[in-house]
Amino acid sequence: MQKNFSIDDLVNDLTPVKPMNINKGLALPAVIVVAFIALFVSQLGLRSDLAAGIPAPITLMRGGVLLLLGFATARAVVHMAQPSVGKGNQGWVWAVGAALLFPISALIVAISTMSADMPVTVNTGWYCFKMCLAASSATAIPMVLWLRKGAPTSLERAGWLTGLAAGGLGAFAYSFHCPFTSVMDISVWYTAAIGTSAVVGRLVVPHLIRW
Amino acid sequence: MIANEETLKNLMIRAQGGDKQSYSVLLEQTGRWLSRYFSNKISNDAIDDLIQETLISLHRKRDSFDPTRAYLPWIAAIARYRWVDKLRQTYKHQAGTLDFDIAEEGHEDVVGAKISIDRLLTMLPEKQAEVIQLVKVEGYSIAETSDKTGQSESLVKVNVHRGLKKLATLIESE
Repeated sequence: MQKNFSIDDLVNDLTPVKPMNINKGLALPAVIVVAFIALFVSQLGLRSDLAAGIPAPITLMRGGVLLLLGFATARAVVHMAQPSVGKGNQGWVWAVGAALLFPISALIVAISTMSADMPVTVNTGWYCFKMCLAASSATAIPMVLWLRKGAPTSLERAGWLTGLAAGGLGAFAYSFHCPFTSVMDISVWYTAAIGTSAVVGRLVVPHLIRW
Repeated sequence: MIANEETLKNLMIRAQGGDKQSYSVLLEQTGRWLSRYFSNKISNDAIDDLIQETLISLHRKRDSFDPTRAYLPWIAAIARYRWVDKLRQTYKHQAGTLDFDIAEEGHEDVVGAKISIDRLLTMLPEKQAEVIQLVKVEGYSIAETSDKTGQSESLVKVNVHRGLKKLATLIESE
């Protein structure tokens, strides 16, 4: 029996609380993504095809996949704060599957062409990687705070999903500037950024959650 | 007699609004529900601690209850989390201290099979569930469990470790 435990103490300590609201949990990450889009566009410029009002198909596909990945995983993170046995919340798995099409396609292209000189842009790619992670880090903060407030029962999964969500949304924000048009560049650098964000999330987030 | 889902849910909603009388009843009723929920799933000397830890978690995380959803699956998720956490802690107790009288009351009737701890254990591979039951719930030593199951001592340790890790990922599954 723990010392100093009393139901009366808990009752006396009771204060009214507002139940956590899913939409509120998603709102702040969304605001941060919009802020980063504005920051990237104002400081680095809008992609030329978007600026011309004629977006390239690859731009739309990339943006769509990143937004889908970011939104589905962020929604899963926000839901994790409100646990319930039997609460099915596996939609994010399909979004991750869709996002994997990019690196899988790049791998198939690389293997099929067997070219030793694969067209991967290193300098721009490294910059893309850093910008994506910068936006991801900021996007992760409200999700971590949300999880701390809530009661996630699977800390490791919460970490992975927070990293994936932040990575996807951060990359989506940067994609408004990103000049890449090749599947190879997009696959290598975006996968690296999102993957790094996910690993960092897995390693860091569980230690930040308090029960 | 323990209050039903509808009553508990209404009490919780009032508690979120700051109604201390409802909260007091809710905690008392939830405590009784938890004692059945955990019965036969951990040693008797650990049950009181586990119930208290779960009630404290309920208190701290009360804003995570969604009033549009059911109460028992919510508290069951918290209880399962606390149970797995307790099993992961290193504790030792003497074998044979379980009191099966409470278990005979059949908490399945009260809890509902889908959110029970038994249900959670059935999601593990049989060998992992078996050694967790023996080592962590019933308090047998690794050597005793090895003798009982035919698994080597190192395999018992590995299966306990893997089983607990997997349990932590299955808490909200039914």
